[in-house]
This record gives sequence, C-alpha cells and structure tokens, in this order.
Amino acid sequence: MSLKIVVCIKQVPVSNNLKIDPITKNLIRSGESGVMNPYDKNAIEAALRLKDEWGGEVILLSMGPADFEMTLRQGMAMGCDDAILLSSRKFGGADTLATGYVLAQAIKKLGKVDLVLLGRQSVDADTSQVGPIVSEFLGWPQITFVSELTGHAKKGMTATRLLENMQQKIEFQLPAVVTVRSEMNEPRYPTPRNIQQSYKKNIRIWDENSLSVDPNRIGLKGSPTVVRSVWAPIKEAKHTIYLKGTPDEAVRELLIQMRASNLL
Amino acid sequence: MTDQEIWVYAEKHVGMIQPVTYQLITKAKEIANDKKVVVILFEATDKNLEEKIKEFGPNEIVVVKDDRLKDATDSEIASLMAELADRRKPNSILFGATVVGRSIAPRLQAKLNTGLTSDCLNLAFDDDLLIQTKPSYGDNIMCEIVCPKHRPQMASVRPNTFEAKKDLNQSVIVTKINDLFFKKAERIKIIEETPLLSKSDSIANADRVIALGRGAADEKAVRLAEELARKLGAKIGVTRPLTDHPKFSGDDQIGQSGNTIAPKLLVNLGVHGAVQYTTGIGSAELVVSIDKDPEAPIFNYSNYSYVGDSVSFLESFLKVIQ
Ligand SMILES: Cc1cc2nc3c(=O)[nH]c(=O)nc-3n(C[C@H](O)[C@H](O)[C@H](O)COP(=O)(O)OP(=O)(O)OC[C@H]3O[C@@H](n4cnc5c(N)ncnc54)[C@H](O)[C@@H]3O)c2cc1C
Ligand SMILES: Cc1cc2nc3c(=O)[nH]c(=O)nc-3n(C[C@H](O)[C@H](O)[C@H](O)COP(=O)(O)OP(=O)(O)OC[C@H]3O[C@@H](n4cnc5c(N)ncnc54)[C@H](O)[C@@H]3O)c2cc1C
Repeated sequence: MSLKIVVCIKQVPVSNNLKIDPITKNLIRSGESGVMNPYDKNAIEAALRLKDEWGGEVILLSMGPADFEMTLRQGMAMGCDDAILLSSRKFGGADTLATGYVLAQAIKKLGKVDLVLLGRQSVDADTSQVGPIVSEFLGWPQITFVSELTGHAKKGMTATRLLENMQQKIEFQLPAVVTVRSEMNEPRYPTPRNIQQSYKKNIRIWDENSLSVDPNRIGLKGSPTVVRSVWAPIKEAKHTIYLKGTPDEAVRELLIQMRASNLL
Repeated sequence: MTDQEIWVYAEKHVGMIQPVTYQLITKAKEIANDKKVVVILFEATDKNLEEKIKEFGPNEIVVVKDDRLKDATDSEIASLMAELADRRKPNSILFGATVVGRSIAPRLQAKLNTGLTSDCLNLAFDDDLLIQTKPSYGDNIMCEIVCPKHRPQMASVRPNTFEAKKDLNQSVIVTKINDLFFKKAERIKIIEETPLLSKSDSIANADRVIALGRGAADEKAVRLAEELARKLGAKIGVTRPLTDHPKFSGDDQIGQSGNTIAPKLLVNLGVHGAVQYTTGIGSAELVVSIDKDPEAPIFNYSNYSYVGDSVSFLESFLKVIQ
C-alpha cells in the first residue's frame, strides 16, 4: 500500500495587524513576507505520519504568486516530497470558488491521488470554504474540522470531527478530502537535512495552460463574490466605571450594580 | 419582485434546533422587506421540529422527512438543498457559521456555482442584492462583500451575532416535500454523534462566564474561580494561552479562534484584552474586568474595571457573597 497524498497550503501575512490606507482605502500589506497558514502545518504533519505508516508520497499544492514558493520550501523542509505552485496572472483575484476549482483541476491532473488534506481554514480570509469546494469538484467524501485520524488506509479510516459542542465519529474510504484542526497533532520542525534537501528539489510551476481549466471559471472572472469595500472597524470603548478601594470594597460596589441588573 | 425567498438552513443536533437558526430567522425577517423567509428543515420521520421553529415566525417551513436524514453527511444535505434550490430559485440562503454550516454551505455553493461569504457579522438588502459584512485578518478588518451576478446569494453568519425573537403572530405555512432524490454519499458514514463531555454545556450559550487569562492561571486562582463559578452558576472560559493548562482545552477558549460568547455577565480576570480575545466578547452584556495593569486594553471593553490582583479579588468576592 502506498499512498499519494496532496496537501494544499496557503501563505498568509505574518501579522494580522493590517492597516488601511486612509486615501486609497486599500489594505497596506506589510513588507514582511508571509508564513504558512498554521493549520496547513497540521495538515502536512498528518500527511507525513500517514506516509511513515503506509509509505507513498506527499505532494504540496499551492495557488498564489511566485513568492508562495517560500512556504512550499518550508513544507518540503518538513519532509514532503514534491511541490507544485499554481501561479499565473489569470489565477489572480480568485475567491474560494475559483480557488477550489483550480486546486481540484490540479489534483485531477496529478491523478491517482488517495487523500487530499487541507487546513480547517486560513487565518487571513478565514472562510474554511476551500476544502468542501475541492471535495465537491472531485466528487469525493469530505470530512472537515477533523481532530483525529486513525485506521487502515486500504480498509477504511476513522475520523473524529469536532463540532461546537458535539463530536462525530466518521468512517470513510479513500479517496477523500480531510480538513485538519490544530488539535490533530504537533507539527514537526524541519530537520537540517530536510532543509538542505528541500533546496535541491525543484518546485514545479503550473499555469492555466498546464491544466485543463475553463477560462471563465478561474481568477477574477470565475469569482462570483466581489469585495466592495474594506475598512478597519472602529472599536468603541465601553464607558467603564472604575471600582475603587480594597478588593472587598470593590466587590461590594460591584454587587450593588449586579443586584440592580438582576444578576444576583 | 415579490415572491423572492430568503432561506434559512435549520441546523440541529441531538434533536434540538441550534440557537443560531432562530437568530437567522429573526434577522432575515428584519431585512426581508417583501421577501419571504423560508426555513429548510431536514429531519427523521419521528421528529416534528417544525413546531419549535414556528414560534419564531418564518413565512414558511419546508420540511423533508426521511429516516436517512438522522445522520446525513454534508454532501447528502448539500445535494438535497441543491435540488430544492433548483426548483424554487431562492434569492439567498443563510447558514449558521458553525462547523456544520461552514461545511455544507461551500459544498452547496460549488454545486450551485455561486458566491458564498463566510462568518458574516451583518446582512442587509439593497433591493435584491444582499450586502454581507464580514471580518477578516482576525477581525482586524471588515469587508463588505456582494455577489452581483449569481443566484442564490449565500452567506454563513456567526452565531450569537443577532438576537432571536419569538413571533407567534405570524401564520406559518408548513410544506412537506417527499419527492427529492436522496443521493446517498458513497464511502462515508457518520457512526455516532455524541456531546463533547468537556463542552456538554458550552460557554457559547452560557448566561454567566468567568474568563481567566494568564494573570489568573495559577492553581489558586483557578480553584477560587471554580468555586465562584459554582456560586454564581457561571461557566469558566479562558484566553488562548490557558488552553495549554491541563484543566482547559480549545473548547473553553474565548475569541477569534475560539468561542464567541454572549453572556449576561462576564468577569475577566487577568485577561489583557488582545483583539483576538475581545472579538469573542462583543455581545456580552455586563462586563467586569480585573487586571493589575491600569493600561490593559480589556478595560476599554468593560462596564466595571478594577485595577488589582485577581486572586485577592476572587477571595473578596467569595467572602462578600457568603
Ligand atoms: C479580506 C478578504 C475577504 C474574503 N472573503 C471571501 C469570502 O467571503 N468568500 C469567498 O469566496 N472568498 C473570499 N475571499 C477570497 C479568498 O480569500 C481566496 O479565495 C482564498 O484564496 C481562499 O480562501 P481562504 O483563505 O478563506 O481559504 P480557506 O477555505 O479558509 O482555507 C482552507 C484551506 O484551504 C487551503 N487553501 C486555501 N487557499 C489556498 C491556496 N490559494 N492554495 C492552496 N491551498 C489553499 C489551505 O489548506 C487552507 O488551510 C476573501 C479575500 C479577502 C482578502
Ligand atoms: C491568529 C491568532 C488567533 C488568536 N486567537 C485567540 C483567541 O481566540 N482567544 C484568545 O484569547 N487569544 C487568541 N490569540 C492570542 C492573543 O493574541 C493573546 O496573545 C492572548 O489573548 C493573551 O492572553 P492573556 O490575556 O491571557 O495573556 P497576556 O497577554 O499575557 O495578559 C495577561 C494579563 O494579566 C494581567 N495580570 C498578570 N498577573 C496578574 C495578577 N496577579 N492579577 C491581575 N492581573 C494580572 C497582566 O497585566 C495582563 O494584562 C490569537 C492570536 C493569533 C495570532
């Protein structure tokens, strides 16, 4: 049994403290280049553990500008075998639908893939939509927000999916799409050997001509959603009343207020 | 057009409609103008959850009853919804931005080839166009998103953002549908769904919450807080660093990557007030914060503030309410 596993990874800004240009109203992205979306590291770790157990290969897939190569290298330094960057101006401006479509077409092109892993969501746009969209385009089962993955790659696997206050046990057979929570594992650090090796490996770059894609379904053209405006929320400070004196005095004053609000 | 429909997907677990469904019905009614609010409910044949939903006064409840719906997968629900949407062509479809909502909605979106905005904090109509406001970059940025050329317009909405209000005056049509094609999902089966023990009573729905941060993380502070929580009937929530504490986990976390809470009373102890935290407490009513740092930003989100030590405050609290 040897598994062909694809992990989709996204590069996200180093910090979420973005500013908005007061005149152009555009996001000012800091000069710092990005980092790998943290949940995607958990997805890579899950893939590497499955590879350790069953053998096979782990292929990284990312759609984005050329500098996404950096996170692909990071992923290879963790021990992944291969990386593909889906990069083209035509892919730019994609919303989740167009992103999921291109990723799915790339997975189809790779062929004979057993398992696709993604992070539960990105920490920038934060939608958690790409995994289910990829699953639908592949026509595969989706198991989202998974905290535990066990079982037999051939006979059938079991996943624990965490909901808000429920958990589900789900049995499934490959091929399938799984999105990974941080509870699943502790991502490994790149070893010096793997870091060295990662620089010897070639990152393949695929554009729209490398894939069989409908030009109307990629990039801005293939994106039904439009971001009309972006702004920084004004955080209205609550008018706070300072409780004074010793802790005892402060608590007494608070209790008076709590009684007045029917909280006691 | 007068016959346009806003759909609300009814999410249920262990036979209970989730509060976010009611919140969405109320919000949809508020913004509907002359559109109809239609709830889509999938349930097993022995259930009658439509009776509960009626109390919130949608115009119509579309019920699909089938015993296979007891433990239906995301893709099965998405196919049924897609078939219904093809028939009735709704203007928009709303989901709770719960794990299940955030999993079914994008699968449906891909089937319907339309746009979906996730985790919205506000919705409004401009004629037929749904204006969706959502946060990004860890709630540091808000954006307004629309889906001008595709229908239906789809959005998932963060739980506890809107208030659910009963409306018993509305006459509610219940439409039973039993001729949908049930496309059984292959290679996947939900074996069981059980309440999470640690979260059987989630802080997201708690009326009173005591939140602990790194300034109230030692053994004594946690023990006193637990005692106070028992006395006040409160649940304990934590900031992200405390999820590493053996007593707590990610389920207890408040904030952007944890739970959004909406309690009547929130007491923050040793919580600094990072934006990723305060994002989760915007709907709390009475907020009281204790921090030894007079400059802690948490005070800007508090009705009552006390600059001091969290353990001493807890000790006094327990003593005074004796
Ligand atoms: C401020 C802002 C708001 C946005 N809001 C929306 C919106 O509401 N609806 C919408 O449809 N689009 C939206 N977009 C567009 C969306 O961010 C992009 O389509 C993005 O590429 C994928 O969405 P995500 O980051 O939310 O991914 P998620 O679905 O949250 O990511 C889940 C997983 O999918 C994988 N993944 C995601 N992106 C890629 C990629 N490019 N390459 C490889 N793997 C990937 C990763 O494994 C990731 O962990 C928004 C963009 C911005 C800048
Ligand atoms: C992508 C991302 C997502 C995140 N999501 C979340 C999230 O969902 N929830 C979350 O909470 N955080 C989240 N964080 C982390 C967040 O940025 C903060 O680091 C975290 O909230 C800080 O927790 P804290 O207030 O307990 O700790 P600290 O920032 O260390 O604050 C401790 C406070 O306790 C006070 N204090 C110390 N000793 C005492 C004492 N004896 N008595 C009284 N006060 C005392 C200090 O003055 C200080 O104000 C996220 C971060 C990122 C990057």
